[in-house]
Amino acid sequence: MLRSSGPPILLFILLVVAWQVICKTMNVPRFLLPAPTDVVEAWIENRQSLIGSLISTFVSALIGFGAAIVVGMSIALLMSQSRLIERSIFPYAVLLQTIPIVAVAPLIVIWVGAGMPAVVVIAFLISLFPIITNTAAGLTSTDHNLVAMFELYNASWWQRTVKLKFPAALPYIMTGLRISSGLAVIGAIVGEFIAGIGGMRGGIGYVITQAAAQLKMPYLFAAALTSSLLGIAIFIIVSLVSARFLRHWHESAIRREL
Amino acid sequence: MVVARPGGAPSAASSDGEPLIVVDHVGKTYGNGTVALDDISFDVSEGQFVSLVGPSGCGKSTLLRMVAGLGPITVGKILVEGLPPKESRQEKADTAFVFQDANLMPWRNVMGNVELPLELRGVSKGERRAQAMQALETVGLAEVTKSYPRELSGGMRMRVSLARALAAHPHLLLMDEPFGALDEITRQRLNGELLRLCALANWTVVFVTHNVFEAVYLSTRILVMSARPGRIVAEVPVPLPHPRVPEIRTDPEYTRIVGEVVALLGTAAEAHEED
Repeated sequence: MLRSSGPPILLFILLVVAWQVICKTMNVPRFLLPAPTDVVEAWIENRQSLIGSLISTFVSALIGFGAAIVVGMSIALLMSQSRLIERSIFPYAVLLQTIPIVAVAPLIVIWVGAGMPAVVVIAFLISLFPIITNTAAGLTSTDHNLVAMFELYNASWWQRTVKLKFPAALPYIMTGLRISSGLAVIGAIVGEFIAGIGGMRGGIGYVITQAAAQLKMPYLFAAALTSSLLGIAIFIIVSLVSARFLRHWHESAIRREL
Repeated sequence: MVVARPGGAPSAASSDGEPLIVVDHVGKTYGNGTVALDDISFDVSEGQFVSLVGPSGCGKSTLLRMVAGLGPITVGKILVEGLPPKESRQEKADTAFVFQDANLMPWRNVMGNVELPLELRGVSKGERRAQAMQALETVGLAEVTKSYPRELSGGMRMRVSLARALAAHPHLLLMDEPFGALDEITRQRLNGELLRLCALANWTVVFVTHNVFEAVYLSTRILVMSARPGRIVAEVPVPLPHPRVPEIRTDPEYTRIVGEVVALLGTAAEAHEED
């Protein structure tokens, strides 16, 4: 762990130091590019508001992501049942992906109301597609000899789905989840841009719009930094879960010694 | 005692002297018009070890799968214990199939893989663990129950596969080139292992292979097939004594039968080229 995280951390420190030095020696105005120390200062100053917003964004992203997992996997399972169903549904899944979320966001606000409901729906919509496609791909690429074996032992539809198709699809599903977890955070922040409300319940996205409007650049940087930390945290959690599930058998989770 | 067959009443088919498997003028044509099998007929009686030997593409695996009730039969009929294959499989749960590669689930450890047939049948956890353990002890893998398939050698994976078949307590074992991917030494060891298990569990076996030596060593009868369309061109009995010991491989009679089967395969191939 230490060996793999060492180099990027070192690079990070170098970049931050360079950034600080450039800002201070060249007297870059704070409203153009605040120095790292300014950002940290702004973060500490506004920590209560930032942490409150962070939690709000995290909860929205998590609910949207959770809903996308349940709905996306169900749709994928349905699609894997027959070619006809797959062909009928798939174009709409693609359509869902290609409509810019910003274009439908106002509509969502009108339908479900501003604030968290709209934010959750946007996070959900944006993270749905990778889960559908990856799960569907996984469910339809089960080894045909294993399928034959389950048939030979007279497995029921339920047994085949739970004991064979889903476990065999796990590497695909995990890939989908990793992509979607990041998208859910982005979706939540985009949602807050459009549908955010004041107080601490507006989330990081709302903070960013406010800070930008008031040209509070250090605060804006602090908010952006916070949101990316959230994305990284969620990505790490999903990756750990993935490694936990796949560590014994899938090449992607196995470290080989040669 | 290693393998108790629960509800192990002798099947109706065996008690009145009927063969366990009847293949009656069976043909298989694929959707694209390719004739895979043409007019195949043979019987397999209780306790026999029958090998299907033929070149790749002669449809021997397809035939075996049809006996297992996988894939439709185009013409003719197959009876397993007096019933069409699929019904026989569903009603009697008396058949186990061993695949070309070990065909294990990589996400389950050895124990989980061996338990599968029992699990699908709804056997309680404690009971199936005990039976799977017994099967694993029989194939000498009691020490690796928690290992995952990728941690095992090819030969060990095949033994897990045999244990899985054993745990299902089958009467009839259908094997589709089970040792095809193994090195010669492991193959010979597992041939011996298989014969030991057969004697122990009283299996009737249909064994598909393209290895003539293996077929002669294991079988009581060999059916020689030709390619495209697959036909049975000859039947060779193997009157070598049981139990078969490795030394049999140097027996003149063994060599003679191997030569006979090889010659028959050659004739079939020539006839095919002249077509």
